[in-house]
Amino acid sequence: MLTEFGKIFIFIILAIIFVIITLFINKLIRPNRPTVEKQKVYECGENPEGSPWVKFNIRFYVVALIFLIFDVEVVLLFPWALVYKDFGVFGFVAGIIFLLVLGLGMAYEWRKGDLEWARPTPKPPKLDELLKKES
Amino acid sequence: MANLYQSLELIRPEIVLSIALIVLVIFDLIFHVDKKIIPYVALVGLIATGIFTLLNPQSGFAFQQTNLMGKIGIFAVDSFGNYFKILIIISSILIVLYSFSSEEINKIQERIGEYYALIFGMILGMFFIVSATDLILVYLSLELMSLSSYVLAGFTKLRDRNSEASLKYLIYGAVSSGLMLYGISLIYGLTGSTNFYIVNMILQIPNANQFTLAFANVLIFAGIGYKISSVPFHFWTPDVYEGAPITITTYLSVASKAAGFALLIRFIKTTFVSFSDSFGNWQVISSFDWKTLLIIISILTMTLGNFTALWQNNLKRLLAFSSIAHAGYLLLGVVVFSNGGVLAILIYFFVYLLMNYGAFLIVMLISNKSGSENIDDYDGLGYTSPLLAVSFVIFLVSLAGLPPTAGFIGKLYIFIALVDAKMITVAIIALLNTVVSLYYYVRIVKHMYLNKPTENTLTVKPNLGNTILTLVLVIPVLVFGIYFQPLVDWAKNSLNILGLM
Repeated sequence: MLTEFGKIFIFIILAIIFVIITLFINKLIRPNRPTVEKQKVYECGENPEGSPWVKFNIRFYVVALIFLIFDVEVVLLFPWALVYKDFGVFGFVAGIIFLLVLGLGMAYEWRKGDLEWARPTPKPPKLDELLKKES
Repeated sequence: MANLYQSLELIRPEIVLSIALIVLVIFDLIFHVDKKIIPYVALVGLIATGIFTLLNPQSGFAFQQTNLMGKIGIFAVDSFGNYFKILIIISSILIVLYSFSSEEINKIQERIGEYYALIFGMILGMFFIVSATDLILVYLSLELMSLSSYVLAGFTKLRDRNSEASLKYLIYGAVSSGLMLYGISLIYGLTGSTNFYIVNMILQIPNANQFTLAFANVLIFAGIGYKISSVPFHFWTPDVYEGAPITITTYLSVASKAAGFALLIRFIKTTFVSFSDSFGNWQVISSFDWKTLLIIISILTMTLGNFTALWQNNLKRLLAFSSIAHAGYLLLGVVVFSNGGVLAILIYFFVYLLMNYGAFLIVMLISNKSGSENIDDYDGLGYTSPLLAVSFVIFLVSLAGLPPTAGFIGKLYIFIALVDAKMITVAIIALLNTVVSLYYYVRIVKHMYLNKPTENTLTVKPNLGNTILTLVLVIPVLVFGIYFQPLVDWAKNSLNILGLM
């Protein structure tokens, strides 16, 4: 006797087998004529410039982390906003305390300089260096 | 609504702790340059929490709800929990005092605010662990404590070993907390509840899923065993203890172990014990053989801890293995399944706090001077720095469990509990282990006294504060070895683990 989950399991297996068979038949009957243009990385018809494996500035990760934390915390405000009237003053105060602690976290980041974006200092070209390169 | 106000009254120490944590962060932000005031803020916060814990005579459930079985809650305030909370507060105060003079911590003065804030995070987690009676709250507070301690283990970033300690701690911790979560989910699947009391009610009816239940219990024990560093979940202990800054090593070896033991005892007592007779012996629900599992684990733990410690030349590593061995002795107090065993654990933990903190204090003072914790630094120290050497000898003798020190009293109560439960074989194995442990403790004494001082011998003169701190730890170790009645009375008054109302 199959349970409901058993049916789902058979369905998943059938789906996987179906995809594999389709791809395999595709490979058997399709024409295979590779050219240089076809094998290039697609970049809207332009010739690709440099490697796509670029190093991202580590700052992006810090910002992403900060965003994630605040995002998840702020999500808690939605259920609170729906029911705080039922809880009266107590619920309101609890929400305010939560927001204050959240604000403290923001102040912490600000003060510790995590919101500063380290800009690369521009290097103006110098005449004597250019001349040295020329010679 | 009234229920909620009442709950807030019961968790006053935790609220004070949270406020202290926030005040610490605010002070850290205001005093951006000169952070000398922050340790004092931490001390005031800890003392205030301690006062509120002592002034919390009520016992009862916070966040309780009435249900079919009566009133049950997820947070039990009782004398057992308060004992451990006071233990944690004392050890935290000592850690703040240690941090004043630790060279490692003084080198990271600009990040001292985060250091104390993370310690407070750990304390908050431990406070919730010792009182939690719901598996979800247990898991959450365990994570709060662990996440803070992962960061603290690698906080100084002075050597590669710091990062190694932090990473190893994190990886082992993630695995064991994952296992524990799986165990919790199995328990929930079997009983339909995560509350200790409801799980207890349902387990009293014999059910068919014996194997699943045993499996779930072993998994949950993996999470707790990791915290108390029992074999086979001890692998992180030596590396983390060696790599972490010494204040954090000390803290992990006592406070987080205390929280783990409190959780283990409360979990077994409220979940797997059907009733406790007039002699205080617990009747364990027959569905899972906790006794055999814990006996095997405790014997393995102390044997492995003691035998591996024999070969250690780094003092922090040696004390790490010694703390594994002590976890084994302490587990013996759990396996007897009686109030006598819990009494022995409570006494032992207080003594263990004093002697382990003392030993680490001496190691810290010496490594401040020498920059390492190698056993060769101690050659001839008995002639150049008599106060430190004599105190160190007292702490080591106490750790080995010889009279007339407090360590003897702790071990004595454990053995009394074992003999009362007619587990003579286990008691003899523990006794033999004590003999083995004597070797590596005395080996340090030999380095200090039998090796004659040379021109390379260190001369460590502690300043006034550290002298007082050493004496504050030495004197109780000696006094409780002879006059231990107050300690026993205090522990006897702390045996009340909240049952079903």
